[in-house]
Amino acid sequence: MRGGTTFRKVSLGLLVAAIVGLATLPMIQRYATDGGFVTNSTLFNFTQMFMLIIVASSWNLTGGFTGYVDFGHGVWFGIGAYGTGVLMSKLGWPFPVAVAGAVAITVLAALLLGGPILRLRGPYFSIAMLATFVAVREIIRIVKPITGGGIGLTLPPYLNRPLFFYITLILAVVVVAFTWWLRRTQFGLTLIAIREDEIGADMRGINTTLHKITVFGLSAAITGLVGALWAYQNTFIDPDIVFVDSRTMDVIIAVILGGLGTVAGPVIGAVVLFWARDIIWANFLQFHLIVQGIVLIAIVLWVPEGIVGTFSDRSGGTTLGRLMSKRKGEPSSDEAVGSPDDEPRTVSS
Amino acid sequence: MSGIRILDARSVTKRFGGLVAVDEVDIHVDQGEVLGLIGPNGSGKTTLFNCLTRVHNIDGGSIEFKGKDITSKKPYQVARMGLARTFQVIRVYGDLTIEENLVLSQQWGALPTHRSFTKAHRDLHDKAAEIAEFLLLSKHLRTKAGTLSGGQRRLLELGMTLMPDPDLILLDEATSGINPSLIETIKDRLAVLNNKGLTLLLVEHDIRFISDLCTRVIVLNYGRKLADGTPDEIKSDERVLEAYFGDDGSTDVE
Repeated sequence: MRGGTTFRKVSLGLLVAAIVGLATLPMIQRYATDGGFVTNSTLFNFTQMFMLIIVASSWNLTGGFTGYVDFGHGVWFGIGAYGTGVLMSKLGWPFPVAVAGAVAITVLAALLLGGPILRLRGPYFSIAMLATFVAVREIIRIVKPITGGGIGLTLPPYLNRPLFFYITLILAVVVVAFTWWLRRTQFGLTLIAIREDEIGADMRGINTTLHKITVFGLSAAITGLVGALWAYQNTFIDPDIVFVDSRTMDVIIAVILGGLGTVAGPVIGAVVLFWARDIIWANFLQFHLIVQGIVLIAIVLWVPEGIVGTFSDRSGGTTLGRLMSKRKGEPSSDEAVGSPDDEPRTVSS
Repeated sequence: MSGIRILDARSVTKRFGGLVAVDEVDIHVDQGEVLGLIGPNGSGKTTLFNCLTRVHNIDGGSIEFKGKDITSKKPYQVARMGLARTFQVIRVYGDLTIEENLVLSQQWGALPTHRSFTKAHRDLHDKAAEIAEFLLLSKHLRTKAGTLSGGQRRLLELGMTLMPDPDLILLDEATSGINPSLIETIKDRLAVLNNKGLTLLLVEHDIRFISDLCTRVIVLNYGRKLADGTPDEIKSDERVLEAYFGDDGSTDVE
């Protein structure tokens, strides 16, 4: 992650400008004539994008840093959403308390599940999470007295687009800053050590179980919080709109597109995926999913390290990376010590 | 030899299905000695190491380290007690730098603090730099471990075992796949460490390496202890020659 301090300063400046710019959108809507170019739907779209950024960053904690690729991450979103739903519509709790309660329920579920499920590794863990996701959806369908079953739950309507816009914007900034900080702590390094060699880490004194369960719970808490907000924003939940498989897929795609195991990756991936899909959808309505699929295959083939990986690591590991290093006249690969057999930065085993 | 038993394992047995990989082996290591563990391929050396470091649950026997029973401890707990090891197949954290690899091997991820903010952390980084220098790796402190050569990774692994100031290090084939000049380096480093009071247990195929360093050698064959003595005694032991070279003690080299 080198690239000079100037590059860092410029990107940080751009980032701050982007956040400030975004923060003014609801004010433009409020004070400009006819809301300027900002409509309720603009704010809604950005809110969805912020949510994708937050969930992608939290997925990246387990999937990217720790190397536990989670195919059922949507389960935390779902538990968070149903937590708020049940607490607000059945028990009449006010929104902030219900959100806190929903997050607590999500964390509790993650800690209970984490013990047994984190003993599994690689594809077994991924499949077990997928199974958990499906199982929880069906359980919620069955316990009708609490969850409303297939009929769903209606929450007290509260349509305040700017409020959700600001909450999710602030949350996105906080969560991304948090992952940035975490990556630089001993805890963050330990997560990467577990990804690189879990057995070795264990035999060198690292309590891998404790670290894995902690990060699993943390990741679930953040995603559960987003689910809780989403439920209230949507004012209606049922198992099929809350537990959508594609929601987890979107998150994984965003992280891989941006750069697995990097701090900026999930953010960039989420932004690109969100707007690219909007454009594809607007222009190729009938076959937008086909176009999206082809684009994804292209990414996996030619930019497997994601956007961030390609730009930051000019080792010539990717096609784009090689092109970029040539253009800048830098030596590509083999400049480091010794053997070229270093593994690609994807998840090992 | 001061005679204090740092590691004392009795009748250690490990079965894999019907195969008895380690069969009632008694092994003890005294404070300050360099004990060698040799044997033909498949004789149970690495399995015994894995039993001692609690990677495998043992099917019989007991293991004491520094006078405490560790038979039911977890691998990370044993490591924190001061029993460090290297691996036959090199294990380093490829996506972390050498410095990070070293620091993590002592810090165990316990502190969620920002690196380099506290004095303890600066000390830790100083220590990592010192160890890297000792192992001729200081040039590569900020290099990712995944890009190092095999020999450099072996040295890094050794450095990672040294970070927590262990009482006993188990080295599993520290010289395999390494060029002769680097082997001499490793040998020198180990001798220096031993003079400073570090206890070592080596698994090794290079018999010269063993006889130069070790004060005592144990020979394993088919999971059983075949012989136990000084390097010279071992080299002239009929049973050892038979195990290594076949019945008549002459014939093919492996």
